[in-house]
Amino acid sequence: MGRSDRRSSLGFWGVFTLLVVIIAACTGSTTSTTGDTGGDTAATTAPDDTEEPATTDAPDDTPGDTSGGEVKNPGLYVHAADDEPLSLDPAQVAAGEAGETIILQVYERLVEIGPGGPELIPGLSTEVPSVENGLISEDGLTYTFPIREGVVFHDGSELTADVVKFSWDRVLEMDLPESNASFLADQIESTEVDGNNFIVHLEERNAAFLSSVVTSAVASIVSQQAVEENGGVTAGQPNQFMSSNMVGTGPYRLVAWNRGENIQLEVFEDYWGEPAKLDVRIDQVADSDVRALGLQAGDYDSIETDPTFITDLEGAEGVEIYSGDFLLEPVHMGMNMNIPEGGLPPEDTIPLDFFHDVNVRRGFNLAFDYEAFVEGAMAGLGAPIPHYLPQGMLGYDDSLPRFERDLAAAEEAFREAGYWDEGFTMTVLAEEGGIFEIAGLVLADSMAELNPNFHIRVLAVVEAQFDAAHAEDPFPYAAWIKNADPFADPAALFDAYIHPDGEWGSVHGFRNAYADPDRIASLVDEAAVELDQDRRVEIYQELAHILYQDPVWLIPGNERALMAHRSWVQNFQMNPLWPRPSLKFQYFDK
Amino acid sequence: MVDVPIPETTRIRVEGPWIVRLRRFAEITRRVLRNPTTLAGLLIIVALLSLAILAPVLTEPNVPDPYQMPRDWGARDAPPGTPGHPLGTTSTGGDVFYGVLWGARTSLQLSVIVVGITVTVGTIVGSLAGFIGGKLDEILMRTVDILLAIPELIFALAIAAVLGPSFGNIIFALSVVFWVKYARIIRGQIIHVKQNEYVDAARVIGDSKLKIYLKDVLPNSITPVIVQATMDMGGIVLTAATLSFIGLSEAGLAEWGVLVSDGQAGISAGKWWASTFPGLMVFLWALGFNLVGDGMRDVLDPRTESR
Amino acid sequence: MQIREYLIRRLMIFPLIIVGTSIIVFVLSRVGGNPVGIYLEHEMSAEEVAQLEERYGLNEPLPVQYFAWARGVLTGDMGWSGVSAQPVTEALIDRIGATLELAIFAAIVAITLGVGLGTFGGARRDRWPDHMTRVLSISGASMPIFWFAILLLIVFWVNLGWFSTGRSDPTIFESIPHPTNIYTLDAILAGNFKALLDALHHLILPSVTLGFGATAIIARMMRSSLVEELNEDYVDAARAKGLPERLVLRRHARRNALIPTVTVIGLGFGFLLQGTVVVEIIFRWPGLGRWMADAVLRGDQATIMAYVLFTSVLFLTVNLVVDIMYAYLDRRVVLGA
Repeated sequence: MGRSDRRSSLGFWGVFTLLVVIIAACTGSTTSTTGDTGGDTAATTAPDDTEEPATTDAPDDTPGDTSGGEVKNPGLYVHAADDEPLSLDPAQVAAGEAGETIILQVYERLVEIGPGGPELIPGLSTEVPSVENGLISEDGLTYTFPIREGVVFHDGSELTADVVKFSWDRVLEMDLPESNASFLADQIESTEVDGNNFIVHLEERNAAFLSSVVTSAVASIVSQQAVEENGGVTAGQPNQFMSSNMVGTGPYRLVAWNRGENIQLEVFEDYWGEPAKLDVRIDQVADSDVRALGLQAGDYDSIETDPTFITDLEGAEGVEIYSGDFLLEPVHMGMNMNIPEGGLPPEDTIPLDFFHDVNVRRGFNLAFDYEAFVEGAMAGLGAPIPHYLPQGMLGYDDSLPRFERDLAAAEEAFREAGYWDEGFTMTVLAEEGGIFEIAGLVLADSMAELNPNFHIRVLAVVEAQFDAAHAEDPFPYAAWIKNADPFADPAALFDAYIHPDGEWGSVHGFRNAYADPDRIASLVDEAAVELDQDRRVEIYQELAHILYQDPVWLIPGNERALMAHRSWVQNFQMNPLWPRPSLKFQYFDK
Repeated sequence: MVDVPIPETTRIRVEGPWIVRLRRFAEITRRVLRNPTTLAGLLIIVALLSLAILAPVLTEPNVPDPYQMPRDWGARDAPPGTPGHPLGTTSTGGDVFYGVLWGARTSLQLSVIVVGITVTVGTIVGSLAGFIGGKLDEILMRTVDILLAIPELIFALAIAAVLGPSFGNIIFALSVVFWVKYARIIRGQIIHVKQNEYVDAARVIGDSKLKIYLKDVLPNSITPVIVQATMDMGGIVLTAATLSFIGLSEAGLAEWGVLVSDGQAGISAGKWWASTFPGLMVFLWALGFNLVGDGMRDVLDPRTESR
Repeated sequence: MQIREYLIRRLMIFPLIIVGTSIIVFVLSRVGGNPVGIYLEHEMSAEEVAQLEERYGLNEPLPVQYFAWARGVLTGDMGWSGVSAQPVTEALIDRIGATLELAIFAAIVAITLGVGLGTFGGARRDRWPDHMTRVLSISGASMPIFWFAILLLIVFWVNLGWFSTGRSDPTIFESIPHPTNIYTLDAILAGNFKALLDALHHLILPSVTLGFGATAIIARMMRSSLVEELNEDYVDAARAKGLPERLVLRRHARRNALIPTVTVIGLGFGFLLQGTVVVEIIFRWPGLGRWMADAVLRGDQATIMAYVLFTSVLFLTVNLVVDIMYAYLDRRVVLGA
């Protein structure tokens, strides 16, 4: 009964399975984004296994097989990133946001940070202004930039000093809340054009004007023609054309932005300088394991590398790990000395002036298990820092004091403060899903290990909620965990994070914490306007010593700049002063 | 004990003294269990419930909160068979076996609470709609239609998104989404009873509405409600695990969906155990309850009776 | 006529239900407070937050916001999607092709497997094939999609290396134009066999994963309605006449059994719709489901509202169409209850 019935079902499924196998076989070795053939090497860590294609015929126009051998995608550089821009408009992009790196490749600025380190090189200005060459006035308030001639934009229009002024004015007029416009606005009193020169008048002397402000994404030069033909400039409103299109002078032009998928750049033929050699495609790949597999398969030339995958990638065929300097965005926990009445979650048992007591603040810093955090979340590729100088920043020195776990000292501090016997419960706000949440969990474990009555609740929320809470003033939690914004120069860093009346100082009430807030204020202010770099180093190091005794942060650690890439990439180099991923593709070759 | 003849018909209208009803239920149970697949489902359920109940005995409860996965930064990503970790550990050093057991406990709590809430709310709404009828009935049923327009998971997602990632919010979200079927069942029963001439006779005699409700509506609603509740015990845990997998639960919670999600990143590197075992548990839980519910429905739904 | 009354009633209520759904969706989006969070960068001041609230109309009273949004839905402007940094309408159109393609192929899997299994079991009622079919289809309904997907990936991707995640090989994908954004269709239109193969290759695992659950519903329905059909008098008559069993099955019973099976298309469709969220996350599929998941995790209410409304309207429409079809196909049905 129903034998033919069974046969016809069987027949259908037989054909279906056969089709599946055929399709799998035919397209097996050309498959894209991740390791069909990468499967073997991914699953083991034995570096000697050369993988064999798991399937049979490869159509003939595939360039070579997928292990370290022949270069895949010649002429095209593929980077796998883990986050996506929100806007490609210099007047709209925020500090530390993914759009900055695209702006770095496609737009240019008057002065650029060179590949070799913090040294500045000329960009659209023919010279880097300095006191010596007379382009910075004696009083440090006037900068003159001679504009390069013969430079064309991607739309064919010409670069002039007027266009430069237009670009900067545009940012200031639009003054978008999500952008970095305040960075420019705070410094600049006025700008003018004199023939072929662009002249800037500052409000007050700033040692970091060139290195921090002029090289930042917000100061990029855009095509006036493109803006005026597409929506112009409206105060307070974004320009939709400029948000998704780019018309600059850089070595790359934007081909396409496929949201959630990739961003495609191609070499700009009429670039004024040394042309780039490879087209670029930046793939948006949120999963770190998929990125790792794609790198091993050769589909990616470099990937945003999660430290916890390093052990799998080390020794993989054709893969090299670039582990250079440190990034400039340490993970930190902020302490709130300005807690509003009734502001804490109901579970918290701490008083409003909890962090006013230096013993509490030092106690936290001494109890934290830095090793567990660095070994765990950073897979060993990071280190604690002195307050508040990340490695590689002006003023940093290995000899500066930094906190290490010392449970005995921590106990003493908390006994002094009077919390040892009773204990306490405190909520920490963190962004969920990543390193910040892990830092919170390590903190909770560290404190519980010190004293089982010390309860830390880690409240992990989505980014949007975290940002919304963060914008509140006063801040309704005792502590929060995030990373610092990347600043190229300590002046802006200290002003934001250390100065008693600075951005965080005012919101978190640093004046309630510091033993001598005025002293700290005067030191920070002095170093900001001092043009003698050696004197500045002295000041910052003095501050580091003061802050070791009187901290207002807890700094779990700072990550190393880390990137896994294919060995066929030539001239691979990172510079942490460039926005993440700290790469400039124009220098690479395959 | 009164000797009352057991009615011949195999239909399940339950009428008469309680003894008869008890015997009826006993026979139904026997018929339900005669089906081997249903029996298998029951065994699975019993096994899972035992795991849930015995969790604090079989593993060392984590302090201070046993429903948080223990973290051991020194023993991360250990494969199954490592001493002390029969099913391996996760990327933060949590014992997978611990997660499996305490996850069962979490699932039990979750499903019992949600079923409790949904049955109660559904019964109340359905009763109101059925008894009062008229305008209220129209309004309530239109609201039900509107709520049913949104696919369940998506509705639960949207609610949980607004409330924030926490287990309590998932319970709330699921309760809001899952009560509707019960309202329909109860209301349907009331309308059916209303149309039944037996009730007209009772009304003539003067039985109060409440008595009709207790004597006729409730007992006859019990079976479809029980069948639905059984299926929901499985479905709720499945949906909750999916929500947790997407990321709407608290971090570090000993819950199967959270564990699968955390373990997902490791599979490409060969670390399959952290997501395979918890996922298997979700499957078994849903399977067990679905098999039993399905078996019950087969017996109790006259349409598929064998002739 | 009863059917006509029923249909007219359903059609009249339809827009009301949609409006009711839109109200629920809107209220839900505002219950958690001001949805401006997704547009913020960290460390913004209160004035900057206020500026953004004004830009997105979030400082208006709620009813005003609702009507503005509702009007926008009808005119094609559903706000700004924070997670994709583009207008919501644009983001929706960009992604719908991918999800549609996935759903269609999953439906093909579900229908063929479901009807086949249902017939297999229904024709051999209460014997082991029936039990096996029943267990298989209940397994399908109990199977957590995310787990099934991960299992398939572990076997077919990590270990065997036959398949991978993603929708395409970017190099091949970029080599053809995309008028419809349905990769298989675009490949056929471009006459590019390699692209077609690439598309199919990437479709196999996700559609099997997605379709597997819906298979259970369809198989279940097919099996029970086939059983019912086989009990009908005309079947006994045909058998008495000496017609071979398979003819009875194929020509009459199965065809009639398909009719009620059509009703579960609505249910199965809902299942597919919800399944896409998880499947797209795991297989990195650039469709609506993943967009929604991102929005949910990051609190992007504009996207969530658009997605929930869109899927609800779709779901409602499919159910209405199925009910109408069923009402015409089988006059025995008692309409309305």
